[in-house]
Amino acid sequence: MSEIDRRNFIKLAGAAGVLASFGAVVPGAAQAAMSSKVPDIIRKPIPSTGEEIPAIGLGSWITFNVGNDMELRDQCADVVSAFFNAGGRMIDSSPMYGSAQEVIGYCLDKLGAHDRVFSTDKVWTSGDGAGQIDETAARWNTKNFDLLQVHNLVGINENLPLLFRMKDEGKLRYVGITTSHGRRTEDVIALMKNERLDFVQVTYNPVDRKVEEYLLPLAYDRGIAVIVNRPFRGGSLTQSLEGEPLPEFAAELKVDSWAQLILKYLIAHPAVTCPIPATTNPAHAAENMRAATGQLPDDKMREQIAAVIGLLV
Amino acid sequence: MSEWWDYGLADFLLFSPRVYYRLFETLNSVWWIAVIAAFVAGLVAAGMAMRHGHRGNRVILVLLALIWAWCGYGFVWQYYQPINWAVAYILPGFAVEALLLLIFAARPLPLRFGWRGDLTSYVGAGIMIVALVVYPFVGLIEGRDWIQAELFGSAADPTALGTLGFVLMARGTWRWLLLPVPLVWCGFASATLWVMDQQVAYVMLAAVWLTIFSGWLDLKNGVTTRRLTEAELAHPPAASD
Repeated sequence: MSEIDRRNFIKLAGAAGVLASFGAVVPGAAQAAMSSKVPDIIRKPIPSTGEEIPAIGLGSWITFNVGNDMELRDQCADVVSAFFNAGGRMIDSSPMYGSAQEVIGYCLDKLGAHDRVFSTDKVWTSGDGAGQIDETAARWNTKNFDLLQVHNLVGINENLPLLFRMKDEGKLRYVGITTSHGRRTEDVIALMKNERLDFVQVTYNPVDRKVEEYLLPLAYDRGIAVIVNRPFRGGSLTQSLEGEPLPEFAAELKVDSWAQLILKYLIAHPAVTCPIPATTNPAHAAENMRAATGQLPDDKMREQIAAVIGLLV
Repeated sequence: MSEWWDYGLADFLLFSPRVYYRLFETLNSVWWIAVIAAFVAGLVAAGMAMRHGHRGNRVILVLLALIWAWCGYGFVWQYYQPINWAVAYILPGFAVEALLLLIFAARPLPLRFGWRGDLTSYVGAGIMIVALVVYPFVGLIEGRDWIQAELFGSAADPTALGTLGFVLMARGTWRWLLLPVPLVWCGFASATLWVMDQQVAYVMLAAVWLTIFSGWLDLKNGVTTRRLTEAELAHPPAASD
């Protein structure tokens, strides 16, 4: 296990022991109240500042694009509520995601949770990047973002300097770039080497592992935080594993589902800061967050996880 | 560096089938009077278009113009555009189509609809029947609730599909001007439905190709290029063209 993992493991193991000893004497109602509090979850540092954030975030691709449907908007708010209650902070979106930004703004307004979120969005235009960021902020009903990223490197030559300027002016805390499906890897690597990026967002899961070869080690060396998109391959990975029994070694990690096993696989990588699974189900949001508790797999077990999943899908 | 052509079709699927089909549920629930009125108008127009030698050509064109205007505003702009920004680029097409239909209705020699008994008529009638009669039941067959039915006149896919049928049932040199917008929409809808893994995508795609093939046949046989005469308008021939 890495230093971070050992530290968290010891801390969490201690906390678990205390809670277990309470369990014998604390009445059910009190236990329920305790469980509704934010659990002690694994946090990972953003290398450029040392600020720690919860190791699981929340994506909004497809799942939060519900338009003006109020019933579905309220369901999204339930997801965000479950996510926050389970200790989550980072929510990620993009101007590309239809109404998702506006729906996130609705959820944060409804929950009064603007101060709880680590707001992460993107700029995705070859035209007026500043104008698009203003629109994005209006949709979130926020003034400043924690992190803005150049989405899939669109308009990178204009948008990256814009984001650095915003950061220098104190209007933005972190700057990043994103890619997905392994697109433009060479360009991403060049930017990681030459620009003072805080974050890079990439596609990574036990089946799509190409980033392990060079990109993740580079991020680790350069001190760039890594957000992982498509941890479940847009849901197809967990769907194809549905009904399959978890491997025996998973019992060591105390996981309830393939989703948790995959997320533990991801956050155990020392370069990974925060996967951002998306869901429409509040129970799944909480379940995903539980992957950021307890023990993480070591390198050997990570290989086992990838091998088993690779065989099943 | 990465630009728009770097994306695949699946990247532009922005919403889930659940959200997409709830659009029709909301539309049908909130605007039920308009939805029924537009559907009935479509049935009336189709009934008139299938008859030979009637004089309701302008009525058909005006009804279709109203339907396109309503569909563009009621469904596409109000409900669909918020979840699919790509629709904003096609939305003006609904206004263009409505305007073209009105222009055709206002011409001294409007398009003439009617059964001609040739292959194009069969294709046109078939597409109209699919759009008006079959399409509302597609959702039921796939296990969705009846309230999510997509009706011609309000839902964009059957409206565009049915319009292809209307145009194939029409005669008049410039009638092909009415095809680009519904063809583009059907192609767009087919791609969207295909990415959502909906089988009805193949119906839309088949309609596009059948329309193009039928149009080509008409061009080849001179049905398109021959102008209608005043005499033909006044006394439609009994035999097919």
